[in-house]
Amino acid sequence: MNNAIRRFFFRSRGDSPFKRLIIHLVLILACIIAIYPALRIISVSLRPGDRLLSTSLAIIPKDATLDNYREVIFEKNFFLWLWNSLIITITTSVIGVILAMSSAYAFSRWNFPGRGPGLVFLLATQMIPAAMLMIPIYILAARLHLINTYKGLVFAYSVSSIPFSIWILKGYYDTIPGELEEAAMIDGVSKLSAFYRIILPLSTPALAIVFLFNFMTAWNDFLLARIMLQRESMYTWTLGLQSLQGQFQTEWGAYSAASILIAIPVMTLFLFSSRWLISGLTLGSVKG
Amino acid sequence: MRGLTGKVIAESFNQVGFTILVIIVVAAIVELFVYVLFSKILKNKYTLPVMLMAPAAVGLLLLIIYPIAFEVRLAFSNMSLRHFKNPTFGIAQGWNNFKLIFTEPVLKQVMFFPLLLRTILWTAIQVSFHVSLGLGLAMLLNRPMKLRGLYRTILVIPWALPQVIAVLTWRGEFHYQYGFINIMLRDIGLNPIQWKTSPFWNFVAMNITNIWLGVPFMMVILLGGLQSISREYYEVADIDGASGWAKFSRITLPLLKPVMTPAVILGTIWTFNNFNVPFFINENELETSDILVTALFRAAFQYNRYGFAAAFALVIFLILLVFAIVYMRATGGIKGVYEK
Amino acid sequence: MKRFLIALVVLLSVTALAMAGGAKEASGQPEKKAAEKKAEAQPVSITLWTKEGEADNALQYVKALADSFTKAHPNVTFEVVNKDVEALREDFQTASLAGSPPDLLWTVNDHAGPFTAADLIQPVDNLFDLSKYVDSAVAAVKLNGKTWGVPISNGNHLMLLYNKDLVPNPPKDTDELIALGKKLTHGDQYGLVWNQTEPFWLVPWLGGFGGKVFADDGVTPTLNTPAMVNTLKFLHDLKYKYKIIPAESDYNGADTLFKEGKAAMIINGDWSLGAYKDALGSKLGVARIPKVKATGMWPKPYTSGVFFMIPKDLGGAKLDAVKAFINFATDKENQIDMVKKLTRLPALKAALNDPIISSDPILKGSADQMVVGTPMPTVLEMRCNWDAMKPEMQAVLADKKSPEDAAKAMQKAAEACIKAQQ
Repeated sequence: MNNAIRRFFFRSRGDSPFKRLIIHLVLILACIIAIYPALRIISVSLRPGDRLLSTSLAIIPKDATLDNYREVIFEKNFFLWLWNSLIITITTSVIGVILAMSSAYAFSRWNFPGRGPGLVFLLATQMIPAAMLMIPIYILAARLHLINTYKGLVFAYSVSSIPFSIWILKGYYDTIPGELEEAAMIDGVSKLSAFYRIILPLSTPALAIVFLFNFMTAWNDFLLARIMLQRESMYTWTLGLQSLQGQFQTEWGAYSAASILIAIPVMTLFLFSSRWLISGLTLGSVKG
Repeated sequence: MRGLTGKVIAESFNQVGFTILVIIVVAAIVELFVYVLFSKILKNKYTLPVMLMAPAAVGLLLLIIYPIAFEVRLAFSNMSLRHFKNPTFGIAQGWNNFKLIFTEPVLKQVMFFPLLLRTILWTAIQVSFHVSLGLGLAMLLNRPMKLRGLYRTILVIPWALPQVIAVLTWRGEFHYQYGFINIMLRDIGLNPIQWKTSPFWNFVAMNITNIWLGVPFMMVILLGGLQSISREYYEVADIDGASGWAKFSRITLPLLKPVMTPAVILGTIWTFNNFNVPFFINENELETSDILVTALFRAAFQYNRYGFAAAFALVIFLILLVFAIVYMRATGGIKGVYEK
Repeated sequence: MKRFLIALVVLLSVTALAMAGGAKEASGQPEKKAAEKKAEAQPVSITLWTKEGEADNALQYVKALADSFTKAHPNVTFEVVNKDVEALREDFQTASLAGSPPDLLWTVNDHAGPFTAADLIQPVDNLFDLSKYVDSAVAAVKLNGKTWGVPISNGNHLMLLYNKDLVPNPPKDTDELIALGKKLTHGDQYGLVWNQTEPFWLVPWLGGFGGKVFADDGVTPTLNTPAMVNTLKFLHDLKYKYKIIPAESDYNGADTLFKEGKAAMIINGDWSLGAYKDALGSKLGVARIPKVKATGMWPKPYTSGVFFMIPKDLGGAKLDAVKAFINFATDKENQIDMVKKLTRLPALKAALNDPIISSDPILKGSADQMVVGTPMPTVLEMRCNWDAMKPEMQAVLADKKSPEDAAKAMQKAAEACIKAQQ
């Protein structure tokens, strides 16, 4: 690597205007790459009829129309899908966070026997191919009469995101010095309430991130929802969107419009949590 | 607003309430049991942490252990469409399943080891692109500058977009006639690419898609790591007249390691097990674009070789487990995570 | 402390609410069971899985059919669930394994193969009068001497569709097709398009070249034959020698080109007729796929249809309701209604003779193509054949493999697949 490139990448102080220009150009290019496919979905959603396909690269098509959005909102069960997804996802995320936050605290503050293997076990759960779990989970759910209920999905989603949540939260708790709780305990507060009163409020960024992760897992799932929900009134948005695809034909316009509308809640959540997104993700944590 | 009636709303509240109730009751029973067992009978000093972990542990055991036990049992059976309701179980069937994985094509023509190699290649390409591009962008963003928040927000979009939608959009963009890449290639006078039918280009296509999807996560994690490195280190280095490269290799990289190691492990596992991208981009079901998990899905659900697929799944799981343990031993990187 | 109390109150009220709901749920269960034992006027709820999607208005048709049945028999209600063809098969197998299958399937005939192999559906010979249905439709779900489904529509076959603006007279044989195609392929317009990714579009030509995918026993694959090599050569030539088809074309691409008038002809199935009528109006023409000049034979598209299938363990009041519904859905009035709404050929003989079909040029063309069609095999081994043909056909069309090597590889893959199925 020659000197100029080195300086460009590694010196952040006193950047020359030229260098700043280059940095902005690189970032703008990266942003275009990041956003262009999303813009193409918008483009399709504005096209009249069922024409997914066009050789035009213009984002706003000549004959742009909001018909597809109208159709999705008024003629499809869009709000039903959105409602089902939201209620399942939010319940899941809250339960998942509660389950993970106390477990992670145990992993962070006590050196109990089996702690190391426990963390490795949590990592190992991430290695199980999802396809391997489909049939047994379905059979388990059928035996427990959980098909066509939220219970089964909520349980499966909230538990499946626990391992990753514990990792993030434990990493974050580790950065909080133990002296804080010890001081509180000298004042006569129990360890548990020190956790609730001191550690949890300090961990807001990490909790927000874990909530976000849980939210995304449940929000985006398709495979599990497909076998667990066999009733149209319970469809989540992934199933609803799927129903717009026929064996050979797909209502691409409506499909894209629905995709855009579906992306809005997650995007909003990301925007709101963006101030925690970086500080809360202390995977493995840098101590000191 | 079709379909969303008062009845549906009431029913969902009812369901959610009932779900929460069940979870509370089960958790209470578990806690009581643990309390009595550890505190009163064993007089264990770790009663509190065990109680803190108990509900999550029970949930995980149910959701993970039962399916694994089920799959292990299935791996020792000859279950397939012709032996669907009454498969035979036994060591012989299990031996046969495991032998078939390594001696016969896993799907139609592809054998296990080429498939494994391709999966490793795919994972290596992905993780190295995710880390290098993610680190590059994170370093560009880790400085005081204008529009920083805006850049960061836009760069996170691929991650925030629902994955299935993102993947299907990319698949559309690899269309021979109507995808934007081919349109651009035609515009500059080059030959369009057969993304869907050419094995090589299809593999490239799935790599492009997943790089696009995966960089933001790595960028965010590494940016978090970079921001937690104290400025003082760099200031001291500046005083000593260290070059940019020296600062990068002696300060940034070592201090990022505790963040990077688990991120790389998780990234590897997720990429290795990535289903959506290789499955959906490969619209023509080219076997040359299958990786282990998509082959597993096809073996189980398209070819209905349930017993065989279960054995196959266990093999994939073991490969990952061995990798993770070896990697952790080699880097010692996870030590900081689980040894205090 | 105060906050804690509030939380407790909220929690308790949620709990109480849920308990009430739960209690209701619990008390509902035994009532329902008792009901099934009693007379048939008791409520019966039928879960119907259908492969029909919303995109071509077919799901709406199924739902309307179920609703009108409920109107006449208020005690029978339906839960209609759409699943795409593959998902329907996978989920039906999984659900059956767990002991909770749906009550009725509305699906394609080739599902009869896997479902009978796994012993998941029941024969319908003794439940219905099958003589009132078109013989070729019933034949498409016959396996091991029994019939495994009741036909809803007949056809599902490919045919040649053309844009009358570009093609005044459809080609009668492949030489005419090539000549016409050359004339009409220029710029971003193509002479002929079809879904080049699926071997379903290959088998008509295979028939035209005198080949079949199975030997006479119906289960031994015969893919490495001169007929297959000639078919693959022909398709390869269309792309690389005569250059009348696009370099890469999937279903949506072909479909869009034809709808936009950028393709003069398309080979597509009867399911697409409705949408093309909407897009092209009177410009749409329907003809047989042109005769293969070299052999003098008509290409033989696979014919099948859409069928009701009944899960193995269905009995009692549910079976009675399902039987009544199937008879209702396939009566003359509803069959003619289906012809009108979905432009599919009916499975009921009485409806097939109705003037509505002979007076409609499109339906007439579709029926005319069907005459030279051949029933699609239903046996489980067919799945292996499809899977074996698909990648090799694609390799030939991508100019990556010679037709001879591809045919050899097809046969080998099909044999290996059948072996693995045992």
